[in-house]
Amino acid sequence: MKPAVILVGADKGGVGKTTVARALADYLTGKNIMTRAFDTESPRGTLKRFHGDMTEIVDIDSTSDQMKILDTLNTAQVKVSIIDTRAGALARTLRALRDVGFFDAVREGHFTFILFHVLGPSIASLDEISETAPFVANAHYFLVKNHVNDSTFFEWDPATYQNYFSKTRGAGELTIPKLSEMAYEQVEIAGSPFSQFVGNKTSDGRPAAHSFVLRGYVRTWQGKIAEEFEKIGLLDLISGASQKK
Amino acid sequence: MEQKTRVYICCSPHKRTGATTTARLLTEYLIFNGRSFAGFDTDPHEPDYGARFPQAVTIVDAATIEGQVAMFDRLLVHDETPKIVDVWHRSYSRFVETMSQIGFMDEARRAMVQPIALFHADATSASPAAALALAARWPELGMVIVTNKGAAPLGLDASDILAQYPSSRRFVIGALDASSRACFEAPEFSLSHFLLAPPSDMSIVTRTSLRAWTAQVFTQFQTFELQTSMQGAQFL
Repeated sequence: MKPAVILVGADKGGVGKTTVARALADYLTGKNIMTRAFDTESPRGTLKRFHGDMTEIVDIDSTSDQMKILDTLNTAQVKVSIIDTRAGALARTLRALRDVGFFDAVREGHFTFILFHVLGPSIASLDEISETAPFVANAHYFLVKNHVNDSTFFEWDPATYQNYFSKTRGAGELTIPKLSEMAYEQVEIAGSPFSQFVGNKTSDGRPAAHSFVLRGYVRTWQGKIAEEFEKIGLLDLISGASQKK
Repeated sequence: MEQKTRVYICCSPHKRTGATTTARLLTEYLIFNGRSFAGFDTDPHEPDYGARFPQAVTIVDAATIEGQVAMFDRLLVHDETPKIVDVWHRSYSRFVETMSQIGFMDEARRAMVQPIALFHADATSASPAAALALAARWPELGMVIVTNKGAAPLGLDASDILAQYPSSRRFVIGALDASSRACFEAPEFSLSHFLLAPPSDMSIVTRTSLRAWTAQVFTQFQTFELQTSMQGAQFL
């Protein structure tokens, strides 16, 4: 299996990038895929707060941190790396990856690159799709519709919807369903991964007393996200069993 | 063998089938036998069941997460205290949907909690269809079909109608005469108090009628409890 980099990002803020990264980290951990994560929300990272054991905070603009991520892809025991980009840093991260030759290495088959582009309910967010296109020629590119915020992604306006989504030939789509606010906030307070909350454990692994109803909602939500990941064959993409078409 | 904690779900997707009456009768049965219970009324607008037992019945809005937490989290506590839920017909779909979304039945099995749907029959074709859907979704959900002859009489075709339901277990709540019904429905009336000390100003006829009606219902509850306990007994 060649090393895989999964970039979760968006330039627009508040679209749920870290929620998607957390759900992804939980999914891969649940499938016994050894995963490490890099949180570019320097100096304090939200992903680091929930997945402290596997996450390192990095400054994507810093050469030493770029080396920390990319130069260790081949040597690290852990072959899957999630990069959670902070708001406004997607284009910059993609440029940085291009400049250090990462995309050339992907094209040559040394690495697998998967991009989850998290979309928000604004034209500005959809405009990012065309800005991202030049970087994704050799990537498994997925547009992530995060329904955590009740967005419709302009599906009610076919002209607008088509205008943006038809530009992304070859891109897959992933839908993150809505999670009840109360359940989401309770996990936020608990400061633990979603799966640990569902298992009624505190962030340090001790038995907790979380509401069963809220755990049930999170469990159902996670199940739906897992179905989405399975629909796109994420594990096959990571293992290299499935090639980019 | 340890007894499971029973959760009685008095329900129907339709109004005026007698679900609240059953919740109330079950509550009175437990009070009369000196047993504790916890009740839930999912009608936040006109909570008849909740209003009659304000100390022990929690009124919840099953459409809100707060209401669901207040009710379902308590229902899953294995404390051998029976729980009674009066499911308002307008919250029936939401109640069932929530059970599904939170994995209620799986957790109930793990927590030694035994949910029992007291499904109230009526003469519409939609009623057995709803009961069948419930049974198909959760085959392990205990189900008793309740016929309230006063609230939702099934008429001459009763046996044919009941044959369409998925469970052969039945409770039959008889119809009360007008005078006894007026007495039973009075807001301040308590059946368990009445059985212990009937009001002296109550007509002997009404008294006798209510006693006979109650005895028939309580006997069914007692028989059901015994049967359920025996089914769970290790030594049988």
